[in-house]
Order: sequence, then C-alpha cells, then structure tokens
Amino acid sequence: MRVDCVICGKGCLDKNSIGINKKLLGEDIDNFYCMDCLAEYLGCTVQELLDKIEEFKEEGCKLFE
Amino acid sequence: MKQFVYADNAATTQLDTDAFEAMKPFFLGEYGNASQPYSFARTAKKALKESRETIARCIGATPEEIFFTSGGTESNNWAVKGSAFSDSNKRVTITSSIEHHAILRPCADIERMGYPVSYLPVDINGVVTAKTLSEYIRENTRLVSVMMANNEIGSIQDISALASVAHSYGATFHTDAVQAVGHIEIDVNALSVDMLSASAHKFNGPKGVGFLYVRKDTALAPYASGGVQEGGMRAGTENIASIVGMAVALEKNINKMDKITAHIEMLESMLLQRLSESNIPFSRNGSEKHIPGNISLSFPGYDGEALLHRLDLMGICVSTGSACDSKETKVSHVLRAIGLNSDLAKGTIRLSLGKSNTEQDIDAIVDALKRIMK
Repeated sequence: MRVDCVICGKGCLDKNSIGINKKLLGEDIDNFYCMDCLAEYLGCTVQELLDKIEEFKEEGCKLFE
Repeated sequence: MKQFVYADNAATTQLDTDAFEAMKPFFLGEYGNASQPYSFARTAKKALKESRETIARCIGATPEEIFFTSGGTESNNWAVKGSAFSDSNKRVTITSSIEHHAILRPCADIERMGYPVSYLPVDINGVVTAKTLSEYIRENTRLVSVMMANNEIGSIQDISALASVAHSYGATFHTDAVQAVGHIEIDVNALSVDMLSASAHKFNGPKGVGFLYVRKDTALAPYASGGVQEGGMRAGTENIASIVGMAVALEKNINKMDKITAHIEMLESMLLQRLSESNIPFSRNGSEKHIPGNISLSFPGYDGEALLHRLDLMGICVSTGSACDSKETKVSHVLRAIGLNSDLAKGTIRLSLGKSNTEQDIDAIVDALKRIMK
C-alpha cells in the first residue's frame, strides 16, 4: 500500500518512516509524515529520528526493518 | 542547546558528589582487600566497618544486621530464596501482586522447585491490607514479602501492620524497600521487619551495590559460598569504593530528608496544578500515601510509549510501566493489578522527581505535554 507524506506529498514512504510515525504519533494514525516533515513537526532533527529507529530495531520492534 | 530534564529518579539517581569524592581513594590508592591481615588493608577494613555502622544507624539497625550485596535485585533474591531454603517444613511464601520483578521472578523460581507462593491482591490504590494478608496466611507460611513502596505508582504500604500479621503466624517478614530507603523515614524496629532490601543507586549512591538488613536470629541460608566475607553469608571480595559511596549518599539523604521532601512535594503540587489548569485530561494512580515525587499519570486516548519518546525528543526523561519493562509495550502488571482499564493503562507514564529537579523542569514538562496534546 502506497503511503505519501501528508505535508509535502513525498511518495512511497518506506517501512521505517511509517514505523517511526506509528511509534511517535500512535498506531492508529491515518496520516503519515516523511522524515523531514516529521522532524519539523516534532521539533527535533532527522538524525534524532534515525537514532530512535535504530534503538527500536535493536529492541526487536517489528515495525522496522 | 536542547533542554535536559531528568524526571525518572525511580529508575536511577545521579551519584552524589560527596559520595563520589569519598569513593575515589579506594579506586587507585587504597585498593587493599579488606579481608587481608596486613596493614595495607587497614584503611579498606576501617572504611567497610564505618560504612556498615553508618547504614545501620540510618535505618535503626545494628551493624551486624547489615549485609552488603550487589544491589536490590540480589538482596531480594537472597531474601526470597534464602528464606525458602532455610526451612523445609514451612514452605509457603506470600507476596503481593504488585512487587517488582526482582521479587516476582525469584518467587516463580522457588515455585518451580516445589515451594508454593501466594500473591496478595491489592486495592485500586495499590494497597495490601492486613485483613487481606490475614485471609491468606497459614501456619505453614515461611515468609511474607511486601514492598514498602511501589516503583510504578509510589504507593506506600502499612508495613508494621503487615509484619504484625506475619509474626502472629510465626512467619518472617521481608520488605523490598528499594524505592523507600533514603526517601522516607525508616526504622526497622518501629516497622517490625525481619529483612529489608535496599539499592544504592536509588538514593544517589553508585550502581552495583546495595544491602540486605537481616534481623538477628532470622533464619536465612547464605547467598553465596566461597569466602568468609559478610560473616560467611555472602562470599565475595567487598566493593569498598561502592560501599563507601552508598553510606555517604544514604547519610546525606537522611540528614537532609525534611528539606528534600518539602522541595519535591512543592514541585509535585506545582506539576499537578499546572496540568489541571491546562485542561489536559488526566488521572493520577496510586495512594495518597506515596513516595514524594513518584507520579503515575494516565492520559486517556494516548499511548504511554509514544509520550515517552516524544518527551525524550524534547529532552525530558520519564518512564512508562516500570523502568525494567520500558522496552515492552505490554501493560504493566502493577496497572493491571490496580484494575486500571486498558485505555488508561496504555496511556500511563511515570514521572519521578528528585532533589535536583527545579520549578523550571516542571514548566518544561507541562509545556511539553501541552504541545504533544494540543
């Protein structure tokens, strides 16, 4: 299923982008952000989001690859 | 520079600077083994003795009743297993359903070995009543273990009432006081406890060290054999630096307890008032009698884990569930035990304020929550 960024329209968000959206905004969200727009929305950096993704992967979270 | 607000003191606390300074000589200069007979070991031996005396004084015990361990988890394992293995006739252990896993897992271990364990229910505030214990306890009960203060919701138990019930049946009473030592007044004689667990890193001491208080004449099997340390009860060369740090940190917290408590309670009130004024729907878990600064909050419709990570990205550290369970998204056994519905349980975070937190920290936390929930 194709998922695009609700802010900038960037297409085909990857599994990790979708995963971090769900982890930080809730599992039941309908709208997803690309990494750049998510970072801006949350007031953090893309690197901080990438670091979070790595931590979730190390914990074995199935939302990430 | 991004802000940093540490509101997870129930998970661990910052090492006290005086404790750190007291530890330093024992890392490089005074590295003698306290069990050796020569003069180079004298300083280490003296430090061990004085630390034991200090800790005993802080909780109303005698020095001979203090046994140093690697921390709360070891102390709890020792109390549960050492008690069970000390008497093959009275085999039953009773504990509560909201204990830390450092009690629940050793209880599960001894159950697998044929020692029955009963788990006491708690009320909506996480309180075990003496009446409930009376309904469960029998003549074949060997040990009753109920934590003094719960790590997730902060509720404090009526330990002396529970100990009294235990003693009326000839059972030993142990309390996991890891969250309480150094934060509320503790006198082992006033409480009538037979054993008590503590962990230094919860009261601004170093990690990797704690103690088990064992009342004189309490039957307890040794924890580890292989040396004569700790009166032959817990073999292993003593971690003098950490033991010294623990004693300094504990004594300092005890001496300043009234002032620290007043400060933390002020911050707690400020946080709750500001949250109420912000119109953010929330409820607080735990009893009115709780560890100062331990604040379990449920936000309906929100995901506690998402809140934890969103706050982390804003430089604020909190917990969801217990600290040891923070990697899992399952609802904690404590919240289930108090009957919290799944929506509230899922949306629960724990803030645990400490002596270093400030009013600015409270403003930052509330502002962050408002931003997340706008």
